[in-house]
Amino acid sequence: MLSVEMCWGQAGIFTFGQAALFGLGGYTVGLITKNSSITDIGVLLLMAIVIGAVAGLIIGIFLFSGKRVGELYVVLVTLAISYIFERLANSWTVLGSGNGIPGIPSPTLFGMEIKSIIGLFILAFTVFALILFICIFLVNSQFGLTMNAVRDDEERAEFFGYKRSRIQIVVFVFAAVLASIGGALFAVTESFVSSSMTGLGLSTTIVLWVVLGGRGTFFGPLIALAVLQAVNTKMQEVLPSLWPILVGLLLVLAMIFLPKGLMSLPATIRESLRKKSSV
Amino acid sequence: MKLLEVNSVTKKFGALTAVDKASIFINQNEIVGLIGPNGSGKSTLLHTVCGRTIATEGQILLQGLDITKQDPQDRAIAGMAIKFQLARIYLEKTVRENLLISLQAKETIWSQLRNKSLAKFEEKITTLADEFQLADYLNEFAKSLSHGQQQWLEIAMAMASDPILLLLDEPTAGMSPKERADTAILIKKASKKCGVLIVEHDLDFIKEICDRISVLHQGNIIATGTSAEIEKDPKVKEVYLTRV
Repeated sequence: MLSVEMCWGQAGIFTFGQAALFGLGGYTVGLITKNSSITDIGVLLLMAIVIGAVAGLIIGIFLFSGKRVGELYVVLVTLAISYIFERLANSWTVLGSGNGIPGIPSPTLFGMEIKSIIGLFILAFTVFALILFICIFLVNSQFGLTMNAVRDDEERAEFFGYKRSRIQIVVFVFAAVLASIGGALFAVTESFVSSSMTGLGLSTTIVLWVVLGGRGTFFGPLIALAVLQAVNTKMQEVLPSLWPILVGLLLVLAMIFLPKGLMSLPATIRESLRKKSSV
Repeated sequence: MKLLEVNSVTKKFGALTAVDKASIFINQNEIVGLIGPNGSGKSTLLHTVCGRTIATEGQILLQGLDITKQDPQDRAIAGMAIKFQLARIYLEKTVRENLLISLQAKETIWSQLRNKSLAKFEEKITTLADEFQLADYLNEFAKSLSHGQQQWLEIAMAMASDPILLLLDEPTAGMSPKERADTAILIKKASKKCGVLIVEHDLDFIKEICDRISVLHQGNIIATGTSAEIEKDPKVKEVYLTRV
């Protein structure tokens, strides 16, 4: 989610490929633990960072070097990447085909095994908090303004002298690393990876969180994530076939009536009250 | 050496020749106006100079450096700045942030991450805001500014990078007479630091502030000279002045 927010919310790169990068991080951990005795979380995260960065760099150079490309082009290419990765994970035996890679051992930290649910939660939360802190720092730095300048008017930014393609590649690589770290944490906390964590479904869900919460903010999408995930499990039991349609409808309504997401709700209400009182 | 030399530039869009072997030049601290009827190729010529489109033929030199095929960002780094016809500022950002966006454009990402230049730029932001009558609006969103103030903000953003050449596409469009007069003063002040090329429909404004004027008609430069010379030119009278 932070990965999509950095890409789309802050730099205007509308990506549907983050699930593939999330899966890449997960499969990196799955393959390393399956083929070696390495379980140290530091090493596993480092490998996920390196693999995520390399993948992000390759995709980023392909997408953004050279002339400006439209948003639709980025959407289609990243959608295709998610689709290809999901197909690959489903069919390639090295990645466990449809069964994925089960039985990923518990991670260790300084030789101590982190096995309990609380321990894994603290691990995931610590990494998340650290990443959130870095994201907030980036957004509030001068570079945050640069990302927004490219997001709001790429061409204008170029005329000021911004190296637009370099900025977009840097942001995409950073976001790819975040997604890959997320996938690695998923793998060690859930003890398995499978193609379901890499495809279009997850990519779309993440975009949904950002749209609902409010593009350009971190806490809006986090709230949307928490609410939707809390409701999701129950609703899938109560309305198994209708729930995905309702989620889709919610997305359409949000884009029409709350294009800036939940975080803009107070301001929207204030504005409509002001208009009413002035009539 | 001339500040800008546009030598026999042609721009074709398929079978249409929008600019045909046009040549203009600008000296340091000179204000040059580019006028012509609608569809004469003024904006296209300006776009080939700023890099929005690449000339099909001909050569563009900025202080002797061939920039004909360069990207806009490289031209900006070489010292060119532009104000577009419709103000292209960042409406959801404050005036201060808009100025900062322009000021930090040539900084490295590493330097931006460390907020290295923030203090240095703060002084420049204050100076620019004073100069362009925006000091009282520094913390206001750009979208709350009047039309004229938005145009000034974009000129201020263009001037923030200390350009050697300032390109202005219809800087007074939609302005009140008072704003227009103030804009003339601002442009004259700017020309003390750089050369200025203005594309404008307002002939009185052009005559008032330009040292030289070039007239475009159907993609060709048909006359160049002072406003007095242009007014006397029979070709200009025929194709342009009689229509205004």
